[in-house]
Amino acid sequence: MKPRPDETATAEELRKRISGQFGRSLHIRTLDTGSCAVCEQEIRLLTAPHYDLHRLGFFFTPAPRHADLLLVTGPMVRAFEVAARKTYEAMPGPKVVVATGACALGGVYQADPFVHGEVEAVLPVDVWIPGCPPSPLALLQGLGVAVGRLAEKMPGLTFVADGDGDAR
Amino acid sequence: MPLWFTRGLRRGVVTTRYPARSDPSAASLPTPPAFRPRQLTVQIVDRMIAECPGTALSRAASTLVFDVGACTACGRCARVAPQAVTPSGEFELAATARSALIKMIPIRGEQR
Repeated sequence: MKPRPDETATAEELRKRISGQFGRSLHIRTLDTGSCAVCEQEIRLLTAPHYDLHRLGFFFTPAPRHADLLLVTGPMVRAFEVAARKTYEAMPGPKVVVATGACALGGVYQADPFVHGEVEAVLPVDVWIPGCPPSPLALLQGLGVAVGRLAEKMPGLTFVADGDGDAR
Repeated sequence: MPLWFTRGLRRGVVTTRYPARSDPSAASLPTPPAFRPRQLTVQIVDRMIAECPGTALSRAASTLVFDVGACTACGRCARVAPQAVTPSGEFELAATARSALIKMIPIRGEQR
């Protein structure tokens, strides 16, 4: 089964966009700021054959100095604040910070002496990916939004069920 | 040799077409709720807020404030009021502004 021409075009466009903004490839550094590791499991699935992140020009890197995008999970425990700041500062610009999962977005833990409760309290977040955990498809869409290729759908969604007369 | 491997070789496809085309597995993902405003009353909403394990739901006068970013799609609000809540089916939830994740749902049900 060959990919249809329009599919190839989309993948090609995304590849061009990434190469325009970030050179030939976009390198992702993941940062766990106290998550339960389920977000990490979903992130790891992105490199599995079914999702095959590399086909879109995304790669994981172990070094923040090689990274363009910081994928942050967890509610930002205060003990990790210094490390998180150092990781962010070590990254070369332009850099993108993506907060991943309900903890990172401030939905699970409130700020207390142990956690900040959200990633935004410490790092400047560019893209928010909700979900507990976000599925690999949601992560793919979030990464697409982060590089500006995929349109975000969120502003258009109402979360009002169809057929219940929202207009009135 | 596992069946999926030979089938994948034969069809030449193991990888999802997403984002170019939708992925069939997306239909089975747990998704945040969508609400039916006419089925919502202040009492039902307050019960849902009490059941919500996170901070996804809150109420401002006659509006249900739904923070999609805080929602874990656990389905407890749907258990409180199955007539007023359905899964939204949306998984493409990434946003470039935190405020875009906060949705206002009007409460239009008859007060009893």
